[in-house]
Amino acid sequence: MSQPPPEYPGMPRWVKVIGILAATLAVLALVIVLTGVGGPHGPGRHMKSGLAEPPPESVDP
Amino acid sequence: MMMPLRIRKVALTAHVTFSVGSLGAVACFLALALVGLNNPDPQTVQAVYTSMDLATRLVIVPLVLISLVTGLVQSLGTHWGLFRHYWVVLKLAVSVVVLTVLLMQMDLIASVADKSAKAALSTNELRQARISLAIHAAGGLLALLVPAALSVFKPRGLTRYGWRKQHQESASA
Repeated sequence: MSQPPPEYPGMPRWVKVIGILAATLAVLALVIVLTGVGGPHGPGRHMKSGLAEPPPESVDP
Repeated sequence: MMMPLRIRKVALTAHVTFSVGSLGAVACFLALALVGLNNPDPQTVQAVYTSMDLATRLVIVPLVLISLVTGLVQSLGTHWGLFRHYWVVLKLAVSVVVLTVLLMQMDLIASVADKSAKAALSTNELRQARISLAIHAAGGLLALLVPAALSVFKPRGLTRYGWRKQHQESASA
């Protein structure tokens, strides 16, 4: 007669600690991006602070 | 499906090589990013950002991608499995996040390299973008240390799925 499988012991403590740390970092990153504390984000926005593209040459009709 | 021992060793060698290689490549990228941030010589700055762009496209992205693929092969072809142990799941998650952030940074890297090639950059030009490259490189390096440490320490802990599979296998044995 087969024995029923033992109860699952649950998630280890180190996984819970890392999960909490990861969630905290994710929320922090989200707050930084949404509030603009870390400055504007994304490749396009970075370019504003630096060189501007030269204006296109005008073509006479 | 369990891989034969010889193939397992080849797959493990490939995984370790590409993973450690990606760590070294990102460390070089960080060193270049710091030089590019502080060096007053425009020619050096141009060379640095051109090198960073090439290194990203030709070395870092392929290494990180192959490291992820060989890791998947390694876990699916051995008793470790992909979702049986928490450390394997965590390693997979960190690797996917690193690859995603890296791919999202490629436009910025190419753009800074392009601008520095077109005109000499002073220390203050594109400052925010250049700081961002250095910060992301440092973060990437730290993040890549996590899978390396997990692979060595292999902390204990079965997922619910892993627990069920283990008892199914021991019952059928």
